[in-house]
Amino acid sequence: MKSFLLNNLLLKLLALGLAIITWVLYVNRGMIAG
Amino acid sequence: MYSPTWYSIKPFIEITLLWIFFYYILVFFQGTRAFQILKGFIYLLLIFLVSHFLDFDALNWILRQFFAISIVVLVILFQQEIRQGFARLGQGKFLNWFMLNEDVYAILDDIEDAVFSLSEKKIGCIMAIEKQTSLKTFIDNGVAIDGMVTSELIQTIFKHESLIHDGGIILRAGRIAAAACLFPLSENQQLSKIIGTRHRAALGLTEQTDAVVVIVSEETGDVSLAHEGRFIPVTGKERFKIILKELLVSQEDGEKQ
Repeated sequence: MKSFLLNNLLLKLLALGLAIITWVLYVNRGMIAG
Repeated sequence: MYSPTWYSIKPFIEITLLWIFFYYILVFFQGTRAFQILKGFIYLLLIFLVSHFLDFDALNWILRQFFAISIVVLVILFQQEIRQGFARLGQGKFLNWFMLNEDVYAILDDIEDAVFSLSEKKIGCIMAIEKQTSLKTFIDNGVAIDGMVTSELIQTIFKHESLIHDGGIILRAGRIAAAACLFPLSENQQLSKIIGTRHRAALGLTEQTDAVVVIVSEETGDVSLAHEGRFIPVTGKERFKIILKELLVSQEDGEKQ
């Protein structure tokens, strides 16, 4: 279980960052398109 | 229609789903040259986000123009990987009807005999076995053979004196389709620098197609298999046959005899 979590930890963090950025950009898309 | 609770947890669920989606995309691209391009794209996205919140209007405007055409740019940059992805997607269970298992079993013994004889003599060899993705382009750039798969023929082809020993052979539908075929080299950045061209070519072909490639190293005589961009080391004839059978015959429930 531990190795699964640690495996690709960096990728998981990157993916999480991407997910948050995408969500924020989507929510603010009206202002961004402005 | 939905309770207020749903609206408060919805963002978390959505972010989690996006997280999983992006994670598998990154795993798919990991080790490929496309990964570097993807990282560059992500940095630009970060800059865009920061510039939006800091109200850098000019920077925002430029980046907005860029992102407007980015879909087209990404498709052009990642066409190789997209093609592979669709090819894999298309390999559903139902397509395995076309895998003629009788052909596979008939030639396994000869392949094993040839491979281990070459291995003993430390004669380099690279042999691609076509599955569902057509290897026609590679067959066309080689020397047509269209011969029965026999251990003697395979060994003869790879002897150093042979005019067609340079390059790989391609097996299709239980026959040797062509020899002296050139395979594309893997562009995997994570590969060790000491991996020779033969192994790199085996990997490259398996990255672009679903073929199974058998390699005998000229330096060590070691036998290995390559499939879907990865090497599978082989320890002995029995393991070789078992692994090769598993890779060639349909995944879950093929028509095993």
